[in-house]
Amino acid sequence: MAKSPNPETAREEEFVMPAQTIWMIRLSLIYFLLSALIGGLLLIHKTMSLHPALWLLLPLHYEMAIWGWMVQFVMGTAYWMLPRFLKGKIRGPAKPAWWMFILFNAGLLLLLISFLAPGANALAPAGRFLMMTAILLFCYLMWNRIASFKHHGH
Amino acid sequence: MPPITRYFIKSGMIYFVLGIVLAFYAELPGVKTGALLLPVYWHMLVIGWLTQIIMGVSIWMFPRTKKQRKNIQSFPVVAAFWTLNTGLILRFLAEPFIPLVQNGLVFNIVIILSSILQISSVIFYLIEIWPRVQTRKRRVRRNS
Repeated sequence: MAKSPNPETAREEEFVMPAQTIWMIRLSLIYFLLSALIGGLLLIHKTMSLHPALWLLLPLHYEMAIWGWMVQFVMGTAYWMLPRFLKGKIRGPAKPAWWMFILFNAGLLLLLISFLAPGANALAPAGRFLMMTAILLFCYLMWNRIASFKHHGH
Repeated sequence: MPPITRYFIKSGMIYFVLGIVLAFYAELPGVKTGALLLPVYWHMLVIGWLTQIIMGVSIWMFPRTKKQRKNIQSFPVVAAFWTLNTGLILRFLAEPFIPLVQNGLVFNIVIILSSILQISSVIFYLIEIWPRVQTRKRRVRRNS
């Protein structure tokens, strides 16, 4: 017979950030800082020409800001905060959540490298593909958690 | 909701409106300044609106450490708000005029100051939020 979880521990578990969220948010904060540093440098470069090659960093600036910072932060927070299941694992299976984190960041890294190595044509689509897979996994993990308490069937 | 979160969200909403108004203006037929306004309205929407909402809400919702619970409106939080908004205002006032003003000393100082303020705000925000993104083990250790 399956051991029934201690209700107090289960309740506490709801408010603790899962490891996947911690990793996603911390990486998103690092991307935020990197993107701001590049952005600040580019802004200064607009008035006082620092180095012509700096404009190569422009796509890194906005890809890191949008995907690395904002999207990753929102995904990590949603995985932590959205309504949890009442039975079984409160946030669903852990493995797909780890894959979501790994694929998203591996994909983003490939995409960022592709801007610095324009000859490597396969990197950008490969990166986008991995990010797309991670987002599909995110939707799979979140879909049944987007429910009102009344309609929570689990 | 702590007052600083209200400031973040309300100023975010102002940038949201300004951003969409500028984006609309830039698309009007006959407007030749569209390209100059593009970085302005993009930064209004992405930094002024979305990033400020994320910052404000996370400062409000993320679990605080024991030390942070004593002072909800800590120095890094207040500094993050003011440096970000001062930096953004300076940027929005100066950036569209960059092609018109070349090598103006005061102008260059404004741009550099704006850049430093925006980067500082990210650092202040990180100082506040990084310790709040923690494992249960570390949280228990910190709070004991």
